[in-house]
Amino acid sequence: MFLRILKKDLARKKTMNIIIVIFVILASMFVASGLNNVITVIKGTDYFFDQAGIGDYVAVRKDDGVSTETFEDIIPNIKEIKSYRIEPTLYTTKETLYKEDNSELVLDNTIMVQPLSETKLVFFDKDNNPVKTVEEGHAYVSRKMFDENDFKVGDKFVMEVGDVKRTFIVDGGIKDALFGSDMISNIRILIHKTDYDAYKNSTHKNALKGGEFCYIDTDDVNAVDRQLANTPGMLLARERGTFKTAYIMNMIVAFITLILSVCLIIVAFVVLKFTITLTITEEYREIGVMKAIGIKNGKIRSLYLTKYLFIAIIGSLIGFGLSFPFGALLLNSVSKAMVLGNGLGILPNVIGVAVVILTTLGFAWLSTGKVKKATPVDAIRNGQTGERFKKKSKLKLSKGRTDSTVFMACNDVLSSPKKYITVASVFALCAAFVLVMTNTVTTMKGDGLIDSFSARSEIYFSDQEKQMSMMHEGGDEELKEYLTKVETDLGNLGMPCHAFVDAQYIFPVTSKGQEYNISCQQGKNITTDKYVYLEGSYPRNANEVAITPIISEKIDAHIGDTITINYGTGPMDCTVTAYFQSMNLVGEVIRIHEDAPTSLKDCSSWMAFQLNFTDNPGQKEIEARKDRIKEYLGNGRDVQLAWEFQVDCLSVVPTMELVQKLLLGITLVVVVLVVVLMERSFISNEKSEIAILKAIGFKDRRIIFYHMLRFAIVTIVATIVAAAISIPLTHLTIAPIFQGMGMAKMSFNIDPLQIFLLYPAIILGVSLLTAFVTSLVTKSIKSSDTASIE
Amino acid sequence: MAIIEARNLCKTYIVDKRQNNVLKNVSFQVEKGEMVAIMGPSGSGKSTLLYSVSGMDRATSGEVMFDGKDITKLNENQLAELRLNKMGFIFQQMFMMKNLSILDNVLLPAIESKKDLSPRKEKVVKAEALMRKLGIIEVADNDINEVSGGQLQRACIARSMMNNPDILFADEPTGALNRQSSIEVMDELTKLNKDGTTIMMVTHDSKVAARCSRVLYIIDGQIAGEFNANKDIVDQKEKERALKNWLMEMGW
Repeated sequence: MFLRILKKDLARKKTMNIIIVIFVILASMFVASGLNNVITVIKGTDYFFDQAGIGDYVAVRKDDGVSTETFEDIIPNIKEIKSYRIEPTLYTTKETLYKEDNSELVLDNTIMVQPLSETKLVFFDKDNNPVKTVEEGHAYVSRKMFDENDFKVGDKFVMEVGDVKRTFIVDGGIKDALFGSDMISNIRILIHKTDYDAYKNSTHKNALKGGEFCYIDTDDVNAVDRQLANTPGMLLARERGTFKTAYIMNMIVAFITLILSVCLIIVAFVVLKFTITLTITEEYREIGVMKAIGIKNGKIRSLYLTKYLFIAIIGSLIGFGLSFPFGALLLNSVSKAMVLGNGLGILPNVIGVAVVILTTLGFAWLSTGKVKKATPVDAIRNGQTGERFKKKSKLKLSKGRTDSTVFMACNDVLSSPKKYITVASVFALCAAFVLVMTNTVTTMKGDGLIDSFSARSEIYFSDQEKQMSMMHEGGDEELKEYLTKVETDLGNLGMPCHAFVDAQYIFPVTSKGQEYNISCQQGKNITTDKYVYLEGSYPRNANEVAITPIISEKIDAHIGDTITINYGTGPMDCTVTAYFQSMNLVGEVIRIHEDAPTSLKDCSSWMAFQLNFTDNPGQKEIEARKDRIKEYLGNGRDVQLAWEFQVDCLSVVPTMELVQKLLLGITLVVVVLVVVLMERSFISNEKSEIAILKAIGFKDRRIIFYHMLRFAIVTIVATIVAAAISIPLTHLTIAPIFQGMGMAKMSFNIDPLQIFLLYPAIILGVSLLTAFVTSLVTKSIKSSDTASIE
Repeated sequence: MAIIEARNLCKTYIVDKRQNNVLKNVSFQVEKGEMVAIMGPSGSGKSTLLYSVSGMDRATSGEVMFDGKDITKLNENQLAELRLNKMGFIFQQMFMMKNLSILDNVLLPAIESKKDLSPRKEKVVKAEALMRKLGIIEVADNDINEVSGGQLQRACIARSMMNNPDILFADEPTGALNRQSSIEVMDELTKLNKDGTTIMMVTHDSKVAARCSRVLYIIDGQIAGEFNANKDIVDQKEKERALKNWLMEMGW
């Protein structure tokens, strides 16, 4: 009998039961994948670094052609180093690499060529398997190079340096713990030792320069940092934490998906609670009948608990299965760059699903609580009306001038605020996250952050070959000549401009008696007053510097303090005159005066060349000149406008856009599900009212309009709330992330059109469309149904 | 002059692949100003007949002429228009919009209708006048849970009268009411009829039917007999007795 009632119930209330199953599926999918992803993301970079064997400190140097000292000469003397691993490398530029058909490859930054058999870091293929061997004539390339050139396994590229030209078959893209983040993303090419030696042993004048990587295990990174401070040709010397910070953008995506999972879990549970309560309220009449014929409370409750247990198990099993692809989808963009794992297997998913089953039963238990208190008559009365009566009407049709359907919709919302606030809160929460992501993407796609990379300019272009060729004694003169030539040539072409570039060096810096290796950025052919500072006054002479808040904290130096920098010409005391913010090297930079005694032979890296037009052209003209400059530079050089350069620097923008779209997609799915669920329950609850409206002459379209209006009100309120809170929420959630990357003071670029119009309109449109389609069911209710409705 | 005329009306339901002929070639007329009751045993097709002639439900075949038009040919929107402006409905269950006050429920059809373009204030005055007439003005601002069943049914009558319908259809209007409330409601319906409103109602109650000028007795989907009240009999008890006798003859 018990089972028969259950079976009948499941079949009779098919729509509501299916909706509950869908929400259980969603809840278990979100909880199970969310829980797994939470653990994975929290362990994220450490897991990846440990798998790769990155150690506690990484130092990278380049042979400067002067000193013969190598890591092997220095490292063994540092007693704080427990163990270390050294691997050789060659440095090349994009100009040496091209496709088999002579077309260009999409490449930027410094490119390192290494023999796989001698690398000490573990690299992983797309399936997270360690890459152990590569055949002669074959190569593994960085994931970025693989993706951006649309490589497929088996594709070929050529590396031609001086008299050595070899064609390589691409065996795959690699996940590189050291350089695989969206912020660093240097290119690594792993080849066979024989191929490597061919380039290394070349005696051609254009032969590649060599260098080394050293991965160090130590308990005292500061001691190691101090003692490596004077290593010649040092390009990079950073503790593990800095490289972890470089993954901040990848982790942002992971954390956003994490927040998303949490939101979806909340949404799923709120809706689940609402649905179960609603369906049980609808069943009060039956409960009353059962009580009237003497079935005990416990038995009645167990009937419903059995039903929801059945639904929970079915939904959770499906949700469990879906949680794996869904979790992978959420972390897809991150797992492309990283080896993710938590070593716990499916355990978090199993726990997640168990939580959903127990929560569903808990909600069912709470919702059936009233059964105990109600007498059969109470239960029957509630069954008939759906609720106990209390003063409901808030507005007066007789007082206003509104259309009857508009009035009824407004009055319904105001009369049952709890119900509608639940829906509005769910919509607002989802919409707010979409808008936060929109604000973030808009900011990243604009040019508002450009000052944190270098001085603002109109055109940016890169020429690594030129820059690499100047990294020697006397290179400064060559640079000056080159910049003058560019200015003259472009002036002759009707584009008078000022050309400059920022060079980066790593110098030993002493502050409060402690020595550090710190990147110093110097403008060439530009004065320090052209940069933006947070506080203080710009450095006015060679012994004045500006530092970032991150450096200030690291070396305990503040405005007015003196620090000592060794530019290679002996220690020089410099006064800190200002703070500035920089996203270069996640904010670990010192800005030095243009007259500081540097030499390009010590240069570790470059920013792009920059051009500022001196004849104040308009934006359209600048865009037109960009193409002409591209033509002038030739060789398909990358010439970019300010915003393009910013997007290029923040290479995570496409991923963020993807996450934004994913968020929007999930929000719309939630909106659709909630609207379908609510509207179906409204129709089921209000069958008598719909029938009477029809009986007194309301047309179908007027009733559909009335039903749609309620969702319109809720969605409009939700999107207004979401738009209003999205701006402070963006500052609250995203600003600290940028702070971690070096942006001490973050201002977001808000596009009111997107925030207040586009996305609210999309959400409203989907909500109304869903409400419209769902409310078409009201057409099946006839005016004559007034006779048969109980 | 007939306000409504049913011609060979048939209504068939298919239940579990079995054909159930609820109405079988029913034909009758209702004259303007008449008050007609439909009586018959449970399941005989009374409500189906009422809903079919009022256009609330569609007959399987046959014609229903209302004001000279066959309403079986009208689409849903035209039927809704007809119900809104020319017909009034009262049901056994006093269905009302839960979130509206009594006055707003009464006012609703007038606001929805485009027939009367007078300002809302005038419509409110009219609704209040109707409620006053029906003795429920003191509960105008109450919610529907705050009034008795009789008051609620009178509110339903007021609602059905808001657009001055040509005909009022009532399905067991006193079925859910106690004796006193039933008398009050029937008094109001009788008054409305005297004021010129045509009324057609389904009832099980011979006392209610005795207030009507004509009674159609339906058995098994067909009109088995017709009772015309003797206009010369004034006493209500007499009327009831006469009807009961006839009903006994019909097998009641």
